[in-house]
This record gives sequence, C-alpha cells and structure tokens, in this order.
Amino acid sequence: MAATVSLKSSLLLPSPISDFSGASLSISSQTRRRSWQPRGARMQVAASADSKNILVMGGTRFIGVFLSRLLVKEGHQVTLFTRGKAPITQQLPGESDAEYAEFSSKVLHLKGDRQDFDFVKTSLSAKGFDVVYDINGREAVEVAPILDALPNLEQYIYCSSAGVYLKSDLLPHFETDAVDPKSRHKGKLETESLLESRDVNWTSIRPVYIYGPLNYNPVEEWFFHRLKAGRPIPVPGAGNQITQLGHVKDLATAFGLVLGNPKASKQVFNISGAKYVTFDGLARACAKAGGFPEPEIVHYNPKDFDFGKKKAFPFRDQHFFASIEKATSELGCTPEYDLVEGLTDSYNLDFGRGTFRKEADFTTDDMILGKKLVSV
Amino acid sequence: MALSSTTATAAAASFVSGHRGGCSRPSLSSPSFVSAFPRAVAARTRAPPAPARSAAMTVRAQAAGKKSVLIVNTNSGGHAVIGFYLAKDLLAAGHSVTVLTVGDAASDKMNKPPFSRFSELTSAGARTVWGDPSDVGAAVGGGGAAFDVVVDNNGKDLDAVKPVADWAKAAGAGQFLFVSSAGIYTPTDELPHVEGDAVKESAGHVGVEKYIAGEFGNWASFRPQYMIGSGNNKDCEEWFFDRIVRGRAVPIPGSGMQLTNITHVRDLASMLALAVENPGAAAGKIFNCVSDRAVTFNGLVKMCAAAAGAEPNIVYYDPAAVGVDAKKAFPFRNMHFYAEPRAAKEALGWTSTTNLPEDLKERFAEYASSGRGEKEMSFDLDDKILSA
Repeated sequence: MAATVSLKSSLLLPSPISDFSGASLSISSQTRRRSWQPRGARMQVAASADSKNILVMGGTRFIGVFLSRLLVKEGHQVTLFTRGKAPITQQLPGESDAEYAEFSSKVLHLKGDRQDFDFVKTSLSAKGFDVVYDINGREAVEVAPILDALPNLEQYIYCSSAGVYLKSDLLPHFETDAVDPKSRHKGKLETESLLESRDVNWTSIRPVYIYGPLNYNPVEEWFFHRLKAGRPIPVPGAGNQITQLGHVKDLATAFGLVLGNPKASKQVFNISGAKYVTFDGLARACAKAGGFPEPEIVHYNPKDFDFGKKKAFPFRDQHFFASIEKATSELGCTPEYDLVEGLTDSYNLDFGRGTFRKEADFTTDDMILGKKLVSV
Repeated sequence: MALSSTTATAAAASFVSGHRGGCSRPSLSSPSFVSAFPRAVAARTRAPPAPARSAAMTVRAQAAGKKSVLIVNTNSGGHAVIGFYLAKDLLAAGHSVTVLTVGDAASDKMNKPPFSRFSELTSAGARTVWGDPSDVGAAVGGGGAAFDVVVDNNGKDLDAVKPVADWAKAAGAGQFLFVSSAGIYTPTDELPHVEGDAVKESAGHVGVEKYIAGEFGNWASFRPQYMIGSGNNKDCEEWFFDRIVRGRAVPIPGSGMQLTNITHVRDLASMLALAVENPGAAAGKIFNCVSDRAVTFNGLVKMCAAAAGAEPNIVYYDPAAVGVDAKKAFPFRNMHFYAEPRAAKEALGWTSTTNLPEDLKERFAEYASSGRGEKEMSFDLDDKILSA
C-alpha cells in the first residue's frame, strides 16, 4: 500500500496536524513482515538475520532515498519520518515501474516535524522501532527525544560528517583524529558525544562530499552546468587542493552494512570514495563523465574578489579527505564506484537527462573571468 | 490509496521530466540504479577480509624458524639507511644477517652514515662484506650456508639487479625482496598511488619487478618515498633545519600545498621484516613502503620550525618565473607525490608508527648536537629565489 502523501505538505503546520498516517498501515504490513525475502542470499555478517522495524529520520531527499530502498529490499519494515514537504516516494530515473511499485507499496510514512520534540517522543514511543537511521539530524537536542522514546533501541545509526575533523597538514583524516569543536559541523560532534554518553548502541558515519543522482548539493552539478555551457571552469588557487567524493549508493550500502553489525557498535566510520582527487582533476573527471571535451580551467586567487554571499566554488578551499580503511578492513566495505564511473552514473541518471536542483548561476564566474581578461 | 498513487506518479513525472521546463522525458537507456542494490546485498554476503593481524600472527607461529638473510645494500643515497635498520630489526628477532655493501670497504663513502656505524651491526652478530653485485658469490664466499632470503636494496634497473636475482635463484634462496621506488607511479589526478596503479613502463625499477616476478615463486617489491631517521645517508629534514637555524626564509615552490610522504625508516624496516617473517602473506605482492600519512610542504616547514623552537618563515616562488630548476632548489618533487601503504596493512598486518611532529624533534636534537647548524654554508639558489 502506498504511503499517504499529504496534499498540505507545502504548509509547515504545527504539531496538531502531525499524525500517525502510517499507523493504520503498519498493522497489515506487520503481518507481511516475514513473508517477503529479497533475492539473493541474506547471509549477514551480524547476528540480526531478522527483519527489523526501522525508522529513518528523513529519507525522501538524497541518501535516504537509496538507503530506504536497500533496507526494504532486504526485507525490513521501513518508516520515513518527514514533514511531508517532499513526496514520500518518487520513481527514480532508471527505476522500473515494477521496482518502484514494490518499494512505494512497502515504505511507510510518519508525518511530523522532528523539531517538535514532544511529538517525536510520543509518536516514536507509541510505535517502538528497533533501529533508527538518523540521516538529517544536525543538533544533539534533536536526538535526545528519540533516545528517550525508544529505550530498547537496538541501534542508532547517525549520519555525521567528516567536516568535524580539525584541519591538518597531515592527511588523510582517520577516525581517531582530532575534531574541531568550533567547526560548522559542531552539532554533529555534539550529537556523537550525546550518543556516546547515553546507554545506546550507536554507530556514526562520517561521509566527505557525497555525489550521485538526486544530489541537492551542487557538487557535480556545478561542473556539469559549466561544461554544458561550454564555459571555462574557474578553480581557486593552484587547483591542486585535494578533495574526496563518495557515491551516494556506496554510502547507502555502507549504512546497510553497519545494521546489526557488532563491529559497528559504538564506532565511527569514514565513508567515501577509495581515492581522492585534485580540484583540477575533478573538473576533468566530470568532463569525461558527461562526454564533454577536456575543460579549460582558469585559476584565480579568491582573495582578489569579493563574492558577497555567493559561493564561487562548491568545495572548501583546502585539502579535505579521509581514509576509509577502517570501514574496509572492519566491515568489508569497499566502494563499488570509482570517480569517473560514479560521475557517469550521476550524469546519466540526473543532469544528463535535463534534471538538476539549482539553476546555473555564472555571476561569480563572470567576475573572475572578467578580471582575468582585464589583467591579461 | 489511488489518490496517493496518482500524486506520487505525478510527482515522479515532474521530477523526471525536468525541474520546471516541462521538456519531454528523454529515453536514455541506463542501468537501473536499483541494480546497484543486488551488489549492496551481495556486499553484505561477502565476508569481510580476514583481519590481517591475526593472519600474520598465525603465520608467524608456524614459521617460527629463524632465517638466514642477505641484504645487498647500496653504498650511497637515500636507500642506504633502509638496509641498516632492516638488519637491526632482523638481528633483534634472532635471524642471521649478512650485509653485502656495494664497492670497497676502504672507500670514502664508508665514512658516512650508516656505514660508519656498521659496528652496531657486527656487534649484534651481522656479517658485513663488500663486493660487486654482479658477483655476489665472490663477495659472500662460496660454500657457505644458503640464504633463505635475499634483499636487493641497491639496484635501480635490471643491469644492477639481474645478476643478484640470478645468483639468488641459483643459490636456492626461497624469497627475493626488492626495494623499488614509488617514483615509478604514473602521475594522476586521483591520489593516492595505490598498489596496482599504472607505473611508468620505461622505469628501471619496473623492469626489475617484472623480472623477479617471473623468476621467483616468492618475491615482493617495496616502493618507498622519502625517509628520515638517524643514520640516513641523504639529507631530508636537514635541508629545512639548515635554513631555520640560520634565520633564513624557507623557499617553497608553488603553493606549498603539495603532499608527499616522509616516513621514518624504522617503518620501512618493520615492513620488510614482516615480509621476511611472513613469506606466504608477502608472496607476489607490491607494497608501498611509506607511512600512512602524507604531509604538505607547508606542514613540513611548520613542523621542522616547531622542532627547532623557531617560527616558520616561508617564501613561495614559481621556479619557471625565477629561472631555477626546482629539482635542484628543493629536496622533494614539485608536485603531489603521495602513496598509501594499503597492501602492507591488509596483507601483513603492518602498522605505521611515523609521527612527524615527534620524530622531527628527535631529528632536530641530533642535528643540533652535530654542529651542522654552525657550519658555513652557501645558499646560492635560495638567494637567487629570494632576490627575484
């Protein structure tokens, strides 16, 4: 049965509107819980070979879209907790009607605002989930009510960020490295600390830059817009800054691998691509992925410009990459996609079909290129 | 329910057909993204690789026998110190070690470290001999006990290594280890260099690796980068200390963001020693012989300055614009040169211990007590750069 989609989803209404629209469905789906087995062996690494009652905080935008499909396919009961602003499910490019119908008929929706802590506590304790995947949590205060509501929670799996690492001249970042309590991602750090301090089995995943079809962060899209327009790619500094991209499907796979896995208990894992890439190299990789000719790259000194609030480049202007060795050796988790393959997947399923999240905006490019022309 | 399906479909159609333009849905065939998920499920069914540490320990328990190891060692350059530390590690573990240093025991080269410290090896039971790698037999003496392991820490091409390899094979050595170079990797946009990545086919070391792979059932190749450590035959951190203690600016080519591996030689030795003690685990493999952290040029200057108790003073320059050869003006390749020791960690259970901030303090202590900081030195290239 399809999850209900609230037609009033565009309005952010206060808690009385939050409802248990999934509740009436959950009983019937529970009776079906053990009747469906996914194709392929389910010889799992961990003890939990049973299907779980899983709550995903978020799940309708990017990571959760792929993760929820994976979990449903593995036979778990999956409920997405969202405000209902975006459609609960949407058929994805490349997904067959049958696959989509299978997925959308199984996934459940719990409509609510996670900032409404009272609602979170009451609705979750009423339902009693086995596992929580927290994909969109930013602050520790958002997580406390979830933990309060589910005292018998088997595992809290949190999507943190490699952005918590303290900037360093020694790289890559390992999970044991110093973190930066003043970073933009300190809410993630505080959440990890909260999880550590509570008596809960937690796992924290720290991705670097995530990419893939449906990316709402203009990472690859930023390059594709310029390549499609035949424009040069302005890259700050020397262009040899090293970053790292991880495909969203590999991230979803990693999230799946930690489920019920004793090796993931109270552990942090960096999850991203197996190799890192320079800014210039990434421009070239995006060109390859989209079948564009080798791009013209223009380097500039960001200090020469005042871009105001606009972002002239989608990556932090520094080296930023993390070792995934811990996940590889302890979880057997290796990325399927290399960079060009992954960017090609993203291009073929998203930008290459004419879809993207943000309109092209070449304002900062023109500032950079204009000044370059003048100085030459 | 019908309503929600329609809504979902309508939403899907608008999503797929384009953000707002309403252009027709393109009929690109593409692999179903969901087909990725059988892989995800399959990934779950793949047992994680057996933890290398326990595998290594199991092997060690079986191969408790001590080995007779011959190290053919270069008489100069950055690699000389590797044989010195490896010999020490093997001796400490109870193996029998012979070090064949290329050239003449009486040559001036032997006045420099690590050769000047060979008494540390002989007092621990090593046999040190000198000779020509083209006639190893003459150098080690005929009729002696066979070596289990031969390590070539000398040659950079087949001319130099083939005679050693051929002799080792004829003499019945069970394992042949070659100290190669990470410099053979083909430069690439994607880092780091990982074992298995493309190498420059014309490189001498590549020819050697291919040859020994064909000749020995049990061979391994180790690809190092730059190293630090007491007894090093080649300057590394000293280049930076020379400038810092004299209050001179440190000229850095480019942005200073270039990454490189600077490894304490004890890590290289421990990796080689693990291969000697776990021949099965090492057989047929290539190992990046580096620490598991890279450092930027900027970071290295800061750490050297911190070790010297001074403030870093960096001047950036463009070698082409100034008219200097960066190879002569700076001790490291002017580019990202960055490998990771993934094979050693996975196959040998090796761990990296290099801690540059700490290790450089120890290096500076030795530098300071050596008197080098007070010596007259010319900085012609630096001056040219700084005056440009």
